[in-house]
This record gives sequence, structure tokens and C-alpha cells, in this order.
Amino acid sequence: MGLMAFAVRAGPQLFFVGRKFPEAWDRLLRYLSYAFICSIISVTLFLTGARFETQVAPYRGAALAVTIIIAHKTKSAVTGMLVGMVLVLLFSWIR
Amino acid sequence: MFFSPRFRQGAKAAVPIWIAFVPSSVAWGMAAQAHGLKLDEVILMSAWVYSGPAQFAVLAPLAEGKSSLQVLVAGFLMNLRFLPMSTALAPYFSGVKRVPLLFASHVVSASSFIVSYLQFQKEREGVSDESGALQRIDGYGNLAFFLGVGATSFLIWVVGSGVGYGIALGFPPGFEEALKFILPGYFAGLLVVEMKGWAMPLICVASLLAAIPGALINSGWGWLVTAISVAILGWVLEQWKLRAS
Repeated sequence: MGLMAFAVRAGPQLFFVGRKFPEAWDRLLRYLSYAFICSIISVTLFLTGARFETQVAPYRGAALAVTIIIAHKTKSAVTGMLVGMVLVLLFSWIR
Repeated sequence: MFFSPRFRQGAKAAVPIWIAFVPSSVAWGMAAQAHGLKLDEVILMSAWVYSGPAQFAVLAPLAEGKSSLQVLVAGFLMNLRFLPMSTALAPYFSGVKRVPLLFASHVVSASSFIVSYLQFQKEREGVSDESGALQRIDGYGNLAFFLGVGATSFLIWVVGSGVGYGIALGFPPGFEEALKFILPGYFAGLLVVEMKGWAMPLICVASLLAAIPGALINSGWGWLVTAISVAILGWVLEQWKLRAS
């Protein structure tokens, strides 16, 4: 994986000097990253293997929603994460 | 090149990145510990892959013992975003030999790209305005600046991962649920802060929802396929709208 990451970083330095990457393709690659991150967030929070975690999914979903709202309001990912973390912890203790 | 004025200038410009990297690298180290990785694995992955989203993407599949091909594909697709970044930087390093370029390219990240690229553009525009002609690009000077940004941020990332691992070890039992929330929570927050336009929120929500049935149908590849499909669909829609307007 490290080698592939290096190839993607080093390739243009060796072969694309003086060339421009089309803006539309740049956007597609960014959208791929965003879609991956969101899919992974979903899979990490709501699934264990191929099983949907019906008992904890509502709590984690609520914590995720609060995280998103706080991060949006404060423009700080760390603040959002910390509030979500505390909520998840509280939910896990209450259950 | 190291400790040259241009390197120091880059390091100074990287201070905001260091501040941003501390919580994310510590979060990654803590989450990796919670997913069962050892300290050497955490540090090696941070140093060798050096990509927060890709490291995050492969953490769960690695911990669950999924196929290495799936881990590789997920990591590769996440890292594809470095391709346009590295391509955009390449013209500013003209005249630099291949070996230093190869070493420097390892520290290309979203943050080091943005800071360096904006600085190079500002410098080029400034000089061409005064003289009325485009200046010759100082490839080695630009590389020193880029390394000042990239290499120092890289160090913060690797050290922060180790520190995060150590912090997670100190957590008492009963905190596992909170530790596992760190990385998804942090990345959700990062995405929200970066949200622009209509396509990105749409793609994010659609992939968040589509990943669950996708993973239920096929726990290995389902979420990967749905993420690729949603991203391509969103991009095609955006292209179509751009052409129509």
C-alpha cells in the first residue's frame, strides 16, 4: 500500500512535468475520496462484518449527527469529534 | 538544502499544518491501537503510507482480517487524489534531478500541496507583474520550500501517531466505544468543514447511506463498489449540469 501511495505521488514528478491535470478529472478523484471516507464511516459505525448493529446503530447515528452539526457550527472537526466521542461513551454506559 | 532560508520559510509556513496534524495523528494512533495494531505497525504505516484518509480506510479491513487485495484497492483509490496534486506541483520543480524529486514526492499531502502551491503561484505572479515577463523557476529553491512544509509536517504526523498509541494504552477499560468513534467522528467533521457546492454533500450523504446495503450484500467489496458508483454518478451529474448551464 505504501508503494502504491508512493507511485501515485512520485509518478507525476517523473513523467508529468510541464503537463496539467484536467480540472474535471481532479474533481472526480476528490469525489472518489469523499465517497470512500463516507462509506467507511458508515461501515465502521454501523456494521460488524456483514451484520448490521441494530442495537447500537441508533446511538452511534445520533452521535454522528451531533458531531456533524457541531463541526458545521464551530467549523472545527476536533470539537465535533470530541462532543461525539463523549456522547458515544455516555450512550455505551447507559445501555 | 535543509536549513536553507527557503527550507526555513517553508517550515514557518507549515506551522498551521503542524497544529492541524497533532489532533489527527494522535486520533489515528489511538484508533489504530483500539483496532489492535502494534506500536511498530502504527509508526511504520504512518511513515510509509503517510495519508490520514487512506490509513483510516484500511484500518477496519485490516483489523477484521479482510483480503489484502481489498486493503490495497481501498488504499490505492484513496491515494489517487495525490495524482493531480503532484502533477500541479511538478512544473515548479523544473531542473531538479530525479533522485531528490523522488524523495520529496513522498511528503506530498493535501496540506503540503495547498501551502506550497499557493506560495509558488503567489511568487510567480509577483515577479511576472514587476518585470512584465515570466521569471525563471528556481526548482531547487521551490523544492527546499516544499520540503520545509512537507518534511516537518511528516515528522509531526509520525510522532503524533506514536503519541496517540501511547495515550490510548493509558485509557481504562470501558472506553473502547469512544476510542473507536474517534476516527469516523474526526473524518465526518473534516468533511463537513470542507463542504462546498451541491455535489459534495450529495455524494457524501448518498455514499453514507448506500454503503450499508452494499456491505450487507457483499461485506468485502460492496461498500467499495457503492462508493465508486456514487462518486461517478455525482460527478457525471455535475458535468451534465455544468454543460447545460
